[in-house]
Amino acid sequence: MNKILTPIMMGMGLLGLNSPLMAEESIKLGVLEDQSGDFAVATIGKVHGIQLATEEINADGGIDGRPLELVIYDTQSDNTRYQEFMRRVLQRDKVDAVFAGFSSASREAYRPIVDQFKGLAFYNNQYEGGVCDANMIVTGAVPEQQFSTLIPYMMEKYGKRVYTIAADYNFGQISAEWVRDIVKENGGEMVGEEFIPLGVSQFSQTIQNIQRVQPDFIVTLLVGTAQSSYYEQAMSANLRLPMASSVNVGQGYEHKRFNPPSLANMYVTTNYIEEVDTPASKAFLEKWHQKFPDEPYVNQEAENSYLAVYLYKQMVERAGSTDHDAIRKVIAEGDVCMDAPEGKVCIDPKSQHMSHTIYLARVGEDHSITFPKVWKNIKPYWLGDAGCDLTQSNPATQYTPSNPPSKN
Amino acid sequence: MANSPHKMLFHKRLEGPQTLGKGKGFWSGFLLVLAAACVYPLFADGYDVGNNVYFFNWVFMALGLCLIWGYGGILSFGQVAFFGIAGYCYGILTINWGAAYGLSLVALGLAVVVAGLVAALLGYFLFYGRINGVFLGIVTLSFTLVCERFMAQTAGPQWTVGTARLNGFNGMGGMPPLTIPWFGNDIILFPDVQLYYLILALLVAVYLGLRVLLNSRFGNVLVALRDNPERAEMLGYDIRRYQLTAFVIASMLAGLSGALYTAWGQYITPSSMGMTAAALPIIWVAVGGRGDITTTLVGTLLVLAGFQALTVYGSQYALVLMGALLVITVLAAPQGLVMGVVNLTTRLWRRFTKEARS
Amino acid sequence: MAFLSELFAFLYQAGDAFAFLVLAACGLAIVFGMMGVINLAHGEFILCGAYVCATATRLGMPLPLSVLLGALVAGIVGMILERLVIRHLYHRPLDTIVATWGISMIATQGTLIVLGSTLPGTGTPLGSFTLGDYSFSQYRLVLIGTALATLVGLYLLFTRTRFGILARATIQMPHMAQALGINTGLVYSLTFGLGAGLAGLAGGLYAPTMTLVPTMGSAFLVEAFVTVVVGGADIFLGTAPAAAILGVIKAALTSWYGQLAGQIGLLLTAIVVIRVMPRGLSGWLLRERG
Repeated sequence: MNKILTPIMMGMGLLGLNSPLMAEESIKLGVLEDQSGDFAVATIGKVHGIQLATEEINADGGIDGRPLELVIYDTQSDNTRYQEFMRRVLQRDKVDAVFAGFSSASREAYRPIVDQFKGLAFYNNQYEGGVCDANMIVTGAVPEQQFSTLIPYMMEKYGKRVYTIAADYNFGQISAEWVRDIVKENGGEMVGEEFIPLGVSQFSQTIQNIQRVQPDFIVTLLVGTAQSSYYEQAMSANLRLPMASSVNVGQGYEHKRFNPPSLANMYVTTNYIEEVDTPASKAFLEKWHQKFPDEPYVNQEAENSYLAVYLYKQMVERAGSTDHDAIRKVIAEGDVCMDAPEGKVCIDPKSQHMSHTIYLARVGEDHSITFPKVWKNIKPYWLGDAGCDLTQSNPATQYTPSNPPSKN
Repeated sequence: MANSPHKMLFHKRLEGPQTLGKGKGFWSGFLLVLAAACVYPLFADGYDVGNNVYFFNWVFMALGLCLIWGYGGILSFGQVAFFGIAGYCYGILTINWGAAYGLSLVALGLAVVVAGLVAALLGYFLFYGRINGVFLGIVTLSFTLVCERFMAQTAGPQWTVGTARLNGFNGMGGMPPLTIPWFGNDIILFPDVQLYYLILALLVAVYLGLRVLLNSRFGNVLVALRDNPERAEMLGYDIRRYQLTAFVIASMLAGLSGALYTAWGQYITPSSMGMTAAALPIIWVAVGGRGDITTTLVGTLLVLAGFQALTVYGSQYALVLMGALLVITVLAAPQGLVMGVVNLTTRLWRRFTKEARS
Repeated sequence: MAFLSELFAFLYQAGDAFAFLVLAACGLAIVFGMMGVINLAHGEFILCGAYVCATATRLGMPLPLSVLLGALVAGIVGMILERLVIRHLYHRPLDTIVATWGISMIATQGTLIVLGSTLPGTGTPLGSFTLGDYSFSQYRLVLIGTALATLVGLYLLFTRTRFGILARATIQMPHMAQALGINTGLVYSLTFGLGAGLAGLAGGLYAPTMTLVPTMGSAFLVEAFVTVVVGGADIFLGTAPAAAILGVIKAALTSWYGQLAGQIGLLLTAIVVIRVMPRGLSGWLLRERG
């Protein structure tokens, strides 16, 4: 069978090395994102963000004079493709860093491979938090950043009876745990909590359950395209309670895709969306639309991916090389910061997560966005407080609030 | 070769009516391919070798499906359930025991056995309930989806077996790779040359073993009941027993794939038991040619490598091309791509030699 | 009054689940029950109906017409596919699984490439009404009504029209039908088109209530299969009662134990029913009767 396979493989090898001269001096970045399949809605923009940043950096002389080269694969929203291609970019393409992953499952699928080959991976996505791994840098927002701001605001404004509906998997369950804890801390009451399996698209029963207990507001942590059918169905059943979310709008731009007013009165904490009305954001958006005029929306993950390339540039230039230990020494100094389109961001050396400007976005009746509140410099404090310190040791594990690092 | 009657019997059963390929030509070709496979890692880099190991991992499941579908006429849509069960078993056992003293190999064996036991239970229910045809496909698919949905919601800390967390949809990680105990210094089989030889040896053993099995009485009965279950039953065979046995063997092979895959990537997830994952083995076997285990073997490797290459170079058109490939294969080469190509070349060769003679 | 509103709420939920199962499954049931074809591209016909319906509505066509247009387009696409692909595979039922899976991959990814990752929705028409503590979507009642009307319509089609009689004759004895001068090729083509059209109808009807993405068909597929298998080959004795039973089971489990229980309960019911009645409900009913 290998008689047949070998030529194919050799062919692939030859194609991969089409420019050996370039390869010597350029810095290679692997990009593994879902450009097709279930998650494509939210992730195509991430690839564009990386391409835009790379083009700008190259036009500006590259990183320390070395041009950036992208190696992009489409992972098709399929975990096994992440395993295949993570090995490929690290072993065959020998990239210096990888930008990879949308779903948490895909990140967990490739993480053992990154650890095995001592690669350096950027996960540019908002997620449930807790990854304490020296080979990972996370630029997305985590629950403590989004919920410690959002929930107290909502409780003060609307009341203390809270109902959560969440996708029934790690992200939803862990986020719901955060909501529960923060509601309790602030003297509120959880009047209901419902977990919805991924892929469910019919919500009549859930809507009825919510009507039965009449909460003051709903926390919606629904994930995936099937589950977002909830909003339309809730609206048509005349369920018009205020909603709070950490995933919608900032990721899947539902306010653009759904008919008003199905998302009216929803509050979302996000570290960037294209409506952010600052000069930096406007300039960023203009550059973006020049390169990608047909982009449907620039979401927070797209901005995270864009700024991650610049962060990498800064770290390599300060370290003087692409060596990971040197880069991590730079992170340990604690002042890897930059002025991103969202505002100032910094990498936390203990967890290698990032501080963010958190915008509270409110969706109006006509689905226009206003920002009732902005929090500057919100830190990803939980991992560090819980005992993860990557400057000391590398457990390469994902922790959760109910399963924190053991303290010795 | 014929030193003893026993050896002759074994040799006889390596080839026979149920398997393609016989005689000196085939076996020297087989040895040649095997030799090429053995020296291949000397000429390839770590990535290619590890990637081939990844392809080999899936072949066991495909061979099992070929056994029940191609030879037994039973289309199971749920082989990935056993893949997942064995994968999780391997994870749970090795995380609890560690990999020292060859325990990872014991875990591999146990995982396969557990997959076999579950298959026996489900199979008993199916075959002794006289469920067949499309219905069997849907029941096995439902079983897989139940497993997937159940595992997907096990994210909470209450879902822990010993020290192993099932970890829900994000998948279970952190299990050690296969490790061979060695004096003082255990050999850890990362997806590279050592693991390659282990899997290659397993693959050859399974392939030859299946050939012997299929050309034995068991294989003949299996084919007989595929072609005409009533006739086989009239002739006094308890077809349910044969179907169940074939199903259990196939599921254990799927389990072997699952445990090896988990050890390979140190990761297993519920989506390995999802709808897409469930359809893939059927596609490999159908495109390769389900009528024979050799074509299944070659076809599965070709499809895996081809799909990967398409994904690398086809960007977002990859899935469209894959779909077109399936439709065209089914229409133009009903016996599978490999058989189609073989038939075509023999026809062309005959025409060519005829012309040369005349 | 509280009891009545709870009762109505439960019936509404069961009816809602019933409508979803009937509409999702009846196209599949016709193609499977009458032709023995397992159509894994069923979800993509639903997608086709939904996209056509949503686009037509956005262009200003009234919703009922757009729904019908969606069904029509899906039906025509189905007939074309039957001519090109399915027709060659009637004697190889298991191969149709592979072929239709391939078609499904092409359709889903092709839609993503051509039309982008998502289509804007149209919003659910009609309003809501209140009963006791709950408010309900009126459109859902329309869906329940349409599901029942579809069943009645199909019953009339297959028992009262010439096409229905010819179709049943062709399915039962193809050679005899052919010998009697029936254009069996056309009948197969129309039957498959009808199945695809019904899928398109489901897509069109649910388009206003769902997110429109290329993978939306998969949300229907598993439920549709389960219903068809529990029901067996006959639509009226099988699919309809199966959808009713499964609808009640699903609504009950979902309201008492949550969505996960509803989902898993549905699948386990399917396994148990097939164990007890290997040919589905209709097989069992017909055996009892004959």
